[in-house]
Amino acid sequence: MLPSAGVYYFPWEINSSVPEGEALRTFGRLCHYDLARSEAVLTAQHSSAQYRVCVDTKFVEPFQAQLGSCYLVLGEAEHREGEGPVVKARILTCVEGMNVPLLEQAIQEQRKYFSERQERMGNSVS
Amino acid sequence: MRGGRSCRERAEASGGWSARKPPSRLIFRNTVICNWRGFECSLSPRNIKEMRESKQVPGIFFYNGHPVRQVDVVGIVVQTKERDAFFNYGVDDSTGVINCVCWKNPMALETSLSGRPSTPSSLTVLEQMKKLQEMVSQKTKLEIGDVVRVRGQIRTYRQQREIQALCFYKVDDPVCDVQISRMLELPCLYREVYDKPFQGPEEGQSGLEGQNFSINMLYKKVKGFLLENKIQTFYQQELETIDSLVSLAALHLPSPSCQEVKSKNDSSSKRIHSVFKEAIRMLQEKGVVFQKPGSSKDLYHVTDHDKELLKVTLDVIKEDCRKPRHAEKGCHFLHVLSCVQQSYNPSLAEVVMHRVLELLESNSDVVSTMEGYYVAF
Repeated sequence: MLPSAGVYYFPWEINSSVPEGEALRTFGRLCHYDLARSEAVLTAQHSSAQYRVCVDTKFVEPFQAQLGSCYLVLGEAEHREGEGPVVKARILTCVEGMNVPLLEQAIQEQRKYFSERQERMGNSVS
Repeated sequence: MRGGRSCRERAEASGGWSARKPPSRLIFRNTVICNWRGFECSLSPRNIKEMRESKQVPGIFFYNGHPVRQVDVVGIVVQTKERDAFFNYGVDDSTGVINCVCWKNPMALETSLSGRPSTPSSLTVLEQMKKLQEMVSQKTKLEIGDVVRVRGQIRTYRQQREIQALCFYKVDDPVCDVQISRMLELPCLYREVYDKPFQGPEEGQSGLEGQNFSINMLYKKVKGFLLENKIQTFYQQELETIDSLVSLAALHLPSPSCQEVKSKNDSSSKRIHSVFKEAIRMLQEKGVVFQKPGSSKDLYHVTDHDKELLKVTLDVIKEDCRKPRHAEKGCHFLHVLSCVQQSYNPSLAEVVMHRVLELLESNSDVVSTMEGYYVAF
């Protein structure tokens, strides 16, 4: 069985509204890594607010944690009691040097295209 | 090993994200397969899974009416399964995941390398080969998290869509440039190409391009027919009784879709008629045939076989070359034209005159002294 596609989420979209078990990918700077608890935190700035994405790194260990570097994570969302959602990483890649604004633009483009298409299909059905 | 590498080179040489479109109808008609090199689309796995397979031609799939045989995907390896002869890689491009069947490299080269006697010169070759092997195995050994580019054919195996890789390699994408540019590129490609209704060359915007192509074919065929059979005059209806010509004209009609076929018999004969008319118009434009004002309006004269026209033209040149002012340079084309128009056919077209003069010249009846001047002896 193939896993579901890891859809791009912006770091500031990882909140309680993400469906449980949703395959997703997102990005951010690695600001914290707790080897003992297999926990990492990615952070991202968006319109002057700082957002944190908690990552469960159990499946991707061992890995060389480079604090302060940009990472791309692909995994499933898991809601745990008393905390925000955690991304259970299947893939965690250091992408230091990535053009983040360009990636954001690409994600927007992709979404725009899919919503256009959705609209078109909706129109052709009705 | 060599196969792997040349494959890769081909992939790179053929240039990125281009979509090659096939001449649609050509696939289904064995008459005019021309220079398509297989049609390839950079599609997302999501769409590959949704495409409909052609019933007539296995291995051809349709995205929005566009026939697709090969696809090109770039994504992250999210699953690997090793089998005896191949790997199954699950490739995720953030819009979908698809299984790619990637055959292992044949080991033949490796075994043959180790068994060779080693002379100094062969040693360096051996080293190079080993380097190449390493390179290839590095590029084709994939792990979860690697970025991969796969080109291959779509197939359905146990009701699952998958890609049978013709070539695949690990993409060096440390800062996601390749993936990002592809994400930016694909929506454009879909909007500009794949999502637009498919138009093969034979049914382009109201079939213009395709029809021109078929008329051109018919034009050549009719021309050949007229010249080979030394036809002097003909009516269009007569041409429409020649089986070989009609079948050609019918073949290249802008084809109605399958459902329409039955009901449109008489309209197809109208279409054939109009295709012939167009072909004849082309023959006229090129001066191969012409009409005379005195004769029936549907009667066409074949320039090359119109003895009278040839004779009149030759006589004009012969006679005028005797006059002192034409003696040296010969007669100018326009002078010949106006003389022939006066004495033979006032509406004679320039192209016809050109053709006549070329013919006379190739028979050595006239000689051109300089651009546009002719003499006869």
